[in-house]
Amino acid sequence: MAGVGVSLEASIRLQLGTFALDVQLAVAAGEVVAVVGPNGAGKTTLLRALAGLVAPAAGRVVLDGSVLDDPDAGVRVPPEQRPIGVVFQDSLLFPHLSAADNVAFGLRCHGLSRSEARRRARDRLHRAGLGDLATARPGALSGGQGQRVALARALVTGPRLLLLDEPLSALDAGARVEVRRELRRELASFEGIRLLVTHDPLDAVALADRIVVLEHGRVVQSGPIGEVTARPRSRYVADLVGTNLMRGIARGDHVELADGTGEITAPGAGAGEVFVLVHPRAVALHRDRPEGTPRNVWRGRAEALEPLGDRVRVQVQTAGARVVVAEVTPAAVIDLGLADGVEVWASVKATEVQVYPA
Amino acid sequence: MRVDATRTEPRSPPAAVVVVAAVAMLIFTVPLVGLLERAPWSDLWRELTAHETRAALRLSIVCSLWSTALAVLLGVPLAWVLARARFPGRALARALTTLPMVLPPVVGGLALLLAFARDGLVGRWLHDGLGIQLTYSTAGAVLAETFVAMPFLVVTVEAALRSMDTRYEDAAATLGARRWTVFRRVTLPMIAPSLAAGAALSWARALGEFGATIMFAGNISGRTRTMPLAVFTALETRPQGAIALSLVLLAVSLVVLVLLRHRWLGSA
Amino acid sequence: MRRVGGVAAVVGLLVAGCGNAGHSGPGSLRGSITVAAASSLTDAFTKIAAGFRERHPGAKVALDLDASSALALRIRHGAPADVFASADEVSMRRLVDEDLVRGTPTVFARNRLEIVVKKGNPSHVRTLADLARVGTVSLCVETAPCGTLAAEALRMAGVTIPEGRTTRAPNARAALTAVAPGDADAGIVYATDVLAARGSASGVPIPDAQNVLAVYPVASLKGSKHPALAKEFADYVSSPDAERTLRRLGFVAP
Repeated sequence: MAGVGVSLEASIRLQLGTFALDVQLAVAAGEVVAVVGPNGAGKTTLLRALAGLVAPAAGRVVLDGSVLDDPDAGVRVPPEQRPIGVVFQDSLLFPHLSAADNVAFGLRCHGLSRSEARRRARDRLHRAGLGDLATARPGALSGGQGQRVALARALVTGPRLLLLDEPLSALDAGARVEVRRELRRELASFEGIRLLVTHDPLDAVALADRIVVLEHGRVVQSGPIGEVTARPRSRYVADLVGTNLMRGIARGDHVELADGTGEITAPGAGAGEVFVLVHPRAVALHRDRPEGTPRNVWRGRAEALEPLGDRVRVQVQTAGARVVVAEVTPAAVIDLGLADGVEVWASVKATEVQVYPA
Repeated sequence: MRVDATRTEPRSPPAAVVVVAAVAMLIFTVPLVGLLERAPWSDLWRELTAHETRAALRLSIVCSLWSTALAVLLGVPLAWVLARARFPGRALARALTTLPMVLPPVVGGLALLLAFARDGLVGRWLHDGLGIQLTYSTAGAVLAETFVAMPFLVVTVEAALRSMDTRYEDAAATLGARRWTVFRRVTLPMIAPSLAAGAALSWARALGEFGATIMFAGNISGRTRTMPLAVFTALETRPQGAIALSLVLLAVSLVVLVLLRHRWLGSA
Repeated sequence: MRRVGGVAAVVGLLVAGCGNAGHSGPGSLRGSITVAAASSLTDAFTKIAAGFRERHPGAKVALDLDASSALALRIRHGAPADVFASADEVSMRRLVDEDLVRGTPTVFARNRLEIVVKKGNPSHVRTLADLARVGTVSLCVETAPCGTLAAEALRMAGVTIPEGRTTRAPNARAALTAVAPGDADAGIVYATDVLAARGSASGVPIPDAQNVLAVYPVASLKGSKHPALAKEFADYVSSPDAERTLRRLGFVAP
């Protein structure tokens, strides 16, 4: 089936107890979209709504031109009639069926005979390098193997929309790497729409083209990964990416920070509500108050030193309960005698401060 | 083997408690010993194959199997609805299905009479309209047994349905399975052990039913005189036969207990 | 010494007072006795026991009611009973043979058999022969007197009811219950039972020529802890007062 013209347009509004979801989403053919957000943001609820497992109170979901949900028009296509494949966090392989029978399950539901379904299932497992696990029960599989079988199970029926609910979260580090690789390969060759829910930035970066950030049931940011991470619009993404993000009011050449801790000098800041972004590498650390060119300077205490690749990440606790994250070389750590609790001064050149409209 | 210094053996209870426990054990063991001691071991086969006894045995097996089958066929859908459907009065419905478990059987028998006798609430339609009489019939015995036995099945299966992870059913739906297929290929296999246990309990209860049966189906040789009724009837005339039948019932109870020991007694 | 004697005297009086030899009022006895009586004597003996208590205010009478055969079995196995009133001579004879009876039993009443049917006799039963054609017939187990007598009456009348349509009850009252409020079409019980169930069932008399009468002997038992009181009760059962009660309830004179 050609991937041309396959698209998903979803507008979903629903209420679950005290939680309200209000999301507009569009995924074009060929896109892999990652939905990220903190716990409780509604990512899984969104995915379940797209799968048809929970009904929206209002809105519309259209996949490839056919309406899956339209409460106002009384249209609600149940999950079993949607051309979808879902991979769950816990694989949810049926414990009483072998791996092959698990993969064959969807095929049999679509009318294939038991022998034909099993043949195709074994074939698929074989191609994924899992051929010798065909007769194994899910209980005998490792986490990584289970997820790979679950992926095969979801894909074998040829769905047009593939939904993945934190597929790697329940795996240990080694399995995660392996399954991520396989996932990347399968997603690349999959011709339908791919939507992935995750809280691991590595997953998003490795697998997705576009990222949608969900917080408190609403989309706070959406766009290509590079753009979102370069210009985060939420604390969540900032923390995800590991950068310093602040909000404030721009007044020409400086920004009044919203948290009341003062100002940041930033030429060309413009006016109005803005985000202020400072990359950790732009933060310099000193033992004594630095002098010289106009800079933003804060006094604080070093905490939580953490090696990160060839750098060391340092959190500086400044006055006003603000944490500034800096990345310095190991040599600098030694030079400055940095350790937990040591007093430091952090400075950022005004030119390194990025400001963009909120 | 490494000795774990931090693990201590639990201290055994004080002697007085052990004595009381021994007395409690006697309450269970003495009646059984009495039954075994008086058993006509040498004549056992003859007693068990006597005409009356054979008729009662056959009837008991037939009726209990029928009522277990009915309990499963009717009880599983009921359990499904109670576990998953949301409707007003669900708590009341659930309480009603457990009622026969606590109701004295003879009261159950009277209630069945009032409902299904030829002048009963429903019985009169069955009789006047369809010419069906349930009282004093084998079908009536099956009905009485089903009435007391089905709650065991419903309760067990409903508990299993409520405690199972319904996400498996979600997964099956996303793979294209309609609700009935989900139930048949995912839900049922996953609750199969509980279903089996519920059926075993039901069967044992049906086999031992007396009060409701004798009230509703009467005590007719070859038609409604199941084993418990036969024991009751034989007590005066043929006490040896009564004891032989009792042994069979005891053996059945033991078998059911042994099969279900892991569910009730935990892994021993 | 004197104090011990005094204490002994008080203790002796107390013991005597608790014993059955105690008297209160002229000829009135005290004590608590159990009367094992055939279930067909349920209403009769309840009234007779009440009359007895009027005569002997200090007496307590507990009734143990069941089929005579079952009662005899129990008594032989040591069930506590002071008086036994049976619905047949066979059960009484069993106890006599085992030397459990004090004195000789006295027949105090007789009872006719009667066919009991649902109220209004919807199946139109007129004779014993009709029992062969109705749906379900309720009889006592053959070891109970009502069962034995019914079998004899049916045999004498040449009527056979297939076992597959006979439901067996442990005693006459239970046999009656199967017809009303139960769903059996007819049964054979005692005339007294039918009379007692006047409102809820109807009776079809069995002519004397076909009828077999139950004979009711009564005797006090040797195992009684209150022999005087037991004998008193056994005698009372044959008294004019008791006879009047029995007649009114449908029993035939002995």
